[in-house]
Amino acid sequence: MKKFIKSNGTFVALIFLIIALSFLSPSFLSSRNLTNLVRQVTINGIIAVGMTMVILLAGIDLSVGSIVGLAAVVVTLLMQSGLSMWLAIIITLAAVGGVFGFFNGFMSAKFDIHPFIITLGVMTIARGIGLVLTQGVSVPVRNMTFAGIGSGYIPKLPSLIILVIALVLGIFASIKDSVEIKNGEKVKNKAKLTGRIILTASGFAAGFLIFIGYKGIPVPVAIFSVIVLGGVYTLRKTKFGRKLYAIGGNEKVAWLSGINIMRTKTMVFVITGVLSAASGILLASRLNGASPNLGTGFELDAIASVIIGGTSFMGGIGTITGTVIGAIIIGVINNGMSLLGINTFYQMIVKGFIIILAVMIDVLNRRETA
Amino acid sequence: MAEEILEMKNIIKDFPGVRALDHVNFKLEKGEIIALVGENGAGKSTLMKVLSGVWPYPTYEGDIFLDDEIIRFKNTREAEEAGIGIIHQELNLLPDLSVAENIFLDKQPLNKFGGIKWNEMYYEAEKVLSRLNMDIDPRMDLGDLTVGKQQMVEIAKALSLDTRILVFDEPTSALTDSEIKELFRVIKDLKADGVSMIYISHKMDEIEKIADSVVVLRDGATIGDKINIQDVTIEEIISRMVGRDIDNLFPKQSFERGEKTLEVKNISIADPFNPEKYLVEDVSFSAYKGEILGISGLMGSGRTEVVNAIFGVYGKKREGDIFLNGKKLNIQSPADAINNGIALITEDRKELGLLLDKNLTINMTLPSLEKFSTKLVMDHHAEKSTAEKYVDELNIKTPGLDVFVEKLSGGNQQKVVIGKWLITESDVLILDEPTRGIDVGAKTEVYRLMNQLVEKGVTVIMISSELPEIMGMSDRILVMSEGVKTAVLEREEADEETIMKYATGNKGVE
Repeated sequence: MKKFIKSNGTFVALIFLIIALSFLSPSFLSSRNLTNLVRQVTINGIIAVGMTMVILLAGIDLSVGSIVGLAAVVVTLLMQSGLSMWLAIIITLAAVGGVFGFFNGFMSAKFDIHPFIITLGVMTIARGIGLVLTQGVSVPVRNMTFAGIGSGYIPKLPSLIILVIALVLGIFASIKDSVEIKNGEKVKNKAKLTGRIILTASGFAAGFLIFIGYKGIPVPVAIFSVIVLGGVYTLRKTKFGRKLYAIGGNEKVAWLSGINIMRTKTMVFVITGVLSAASGILLASRLNGASPNLGTGFELDAIASVIIGGTSFMGGIGTITGTVIGAIIIGVINNGMSLLGINTFYQMIVKGFIIILAVMIDVLNRRETA
Repeated sequence: MAEEILEMKNIIKDFPGVRALDHVNFKLEKGEIIALVGENGAGKSTLMKVLSGVWPYPTYEGDIFLDDEIIRFKNTREAEEAGIGIIHQELNLLPDLSVAENIFLDKQPLNKFGGIKWNEMYYEAEKVLSRLNMDIDPRMDLGDLTVGKQQMVEIAKALSLDTRILVFDEPTSALTDSEIKELFRVIKDLKADGVSMIYISHKMDEIEKIADSVVVLRDGATIGDKINIQDVTIEEIISRMVGRDIDNLFPKQSFERGEKTLEVKNISIADPFNPEKYLVEDVSFSAYKGEILGISGLMGSGRTEVVNAIFGVYGKKREGDIFLNGKKLNIQSPADAINNGIALITEDRKELGLLLDKNLTINMTLPSLEKFSTKLVMDHHAEKSTAEKYVDELNIKTPGLDVFVEKLSGGNQQKVVIGKWLITESDVLILDEPTRGIDVGAKTEVYRLMNQLVEKGVTVIMISSELPEIMGMSDRILVMSEGVKTAVLEREEADEETIMKYATGNKGVE
């Protein structure tokens, strides 16, 4: 148990936070509030999935907030000009997210410049382009289908079906994952299996209570879930994921082991750019329009989620599930303090301390094991 | 008899588990130049560290007398103030500061407000430099000077302290021929001024030219007394340096030499810090199935650089061609080398060989990810069973496959690195110092494994700075010195004296 708390410290902290808030504010646990909370988390969460990969490489991406803003502006303008919704979305993902992401990754890998500098430049460039395109004013969009992406819900019955499918798949995956090879034979790790099944089941229960109790699963939450699953899968099951951890662990060793550093790094920044653009499109859809200043400061929340989630700033260590927990913690704090009527200015101060605290716990833990 | 200035008496220095210096006696006269020679690890640097206060009293035993007075330095600063200066192999200077600032780094002349008296500092710097007869502007940035001139600044820095004993540690390893001549002129001038010098070098020709006498260290002890350079031949010095028996540590098995596999032609690598110099110059050789090719050479001889060049580490900066089984290979990166069936076990396993905070399986499969992966998914089970197979085969002692490799002992870590490259099933396996820092038992296991690989038809190339190892395991030995190939010796004709002769710069015929 002690070991569990130590290795899942942020998760335990999240549970305590939720319990405390449910006592302090009765409306916190309502399905309506929790649905909104999760939906708010998605915007930052989607970016944080990409940021996790960047920080795993011991890099950083400061341009994500500006890409969010530019993507929101571009998708809106494209639709205003009469392009169909899907075409506008695909062009925005590729032209804003893909291109800037490629630039970030390629420049820093090819010329060995720290991504802090390249992405700092792109942060200003992308923001500037957004301002030029809009002349600094907000641009509206009137398209009900588009608005449905950001603020719509999957109806209750299909939502229930999705949750049940997720439960079944989750249990199936738990069983498959708990098989270990010992002395050439397949053995089931019972403790791991039970733990996994309990987690899956409680996830299902939470999803059921939150979403089915209100209007169903919000569309952005569904999109976020797919992205998270994709990210977890990539890091855990693919060559690409393994290469990321290797480069973050020791770039030289990875290179001498035949890994193409430049290609992998560039790919990671492209992924992050595209995810940021996706986040920007969702935001535009929810607001039914875009302002060129959208997304300002989002890079900080994304970085904070990653760090609170236990990813090492030195690279090589970290998980997407950790980042998701980190993003939810930030969401819970924002939401909880609003419910308690605490001024947003104080929220910033509290958030800052939590980031420092999370890193300190991480550092002290590591010193103990070293 | 000239006036004796320094005497080190019965110096003993212990490191955990090793006696680095064992009753060393050493005497130096005024104006004398002593060459201090010995193999890597013989204790030369340790002795000089004791002399210069890096190892303060009482971390060593024995006494040091300077002008017949016992001295016990607490730190390097006290040694400097007593007039003992060291010119290290790696220069100890700041390239972004001016020459004068480097010379007077922590002792700039100050005015009463604590500001630096620049003109006075430049004037003093000029004075010291002129003592070396060097035409160097003290206002220049140090980084704009050649390596040879930077070394002169380092010497000037030592002289600015009234240095009476100057130690040179491999001073010529980064210098061109004309720079070496310049250095020798300065050394002779200083000698005429009465400065005593200790000259550490592997290069016998230099020692003959510059030294008055020779002291040989082997395994931490002085071998014989100080000898006058006129009374001794290079062969005698070398045999004092290496004279020890090779026991049956080496389970060498010989196989019939097969076809030529790896061939390299005219490999050159320019020195990135000194464009006039080459790290590796025009090296060509071949390796065959059924044999172990040993590469021998002293530190800085270019042996590691040659194999790194074959492995693609220098990318486009490598000149020359690499052939495998008669086919010319285009190798621009380690990935290219691996894809063409060449594996390199690097010298520094902690920095270049292992992901220390990752587990054993991840480390072992890293160069072979393709083998354990379909288009999208990695097969973790196949990965683990392969890792497990090699843990058994290599007899790696570990509590499990999920253990971080930093928790393993040096010998077991080295086996993980070897396993990592065996899994690639390469045709050519290059091992750079494969037994450094591991215990005798693990060493023998590594040698046995090399035998097995040769038997299976893998072309094995081994770099080692330990002569007994090179002679015990190689079928042929390529000897390098200062970036060039000086000899390729057959197993029968290779003895320690011959290898040392070629390693110290004598050029032979193939």
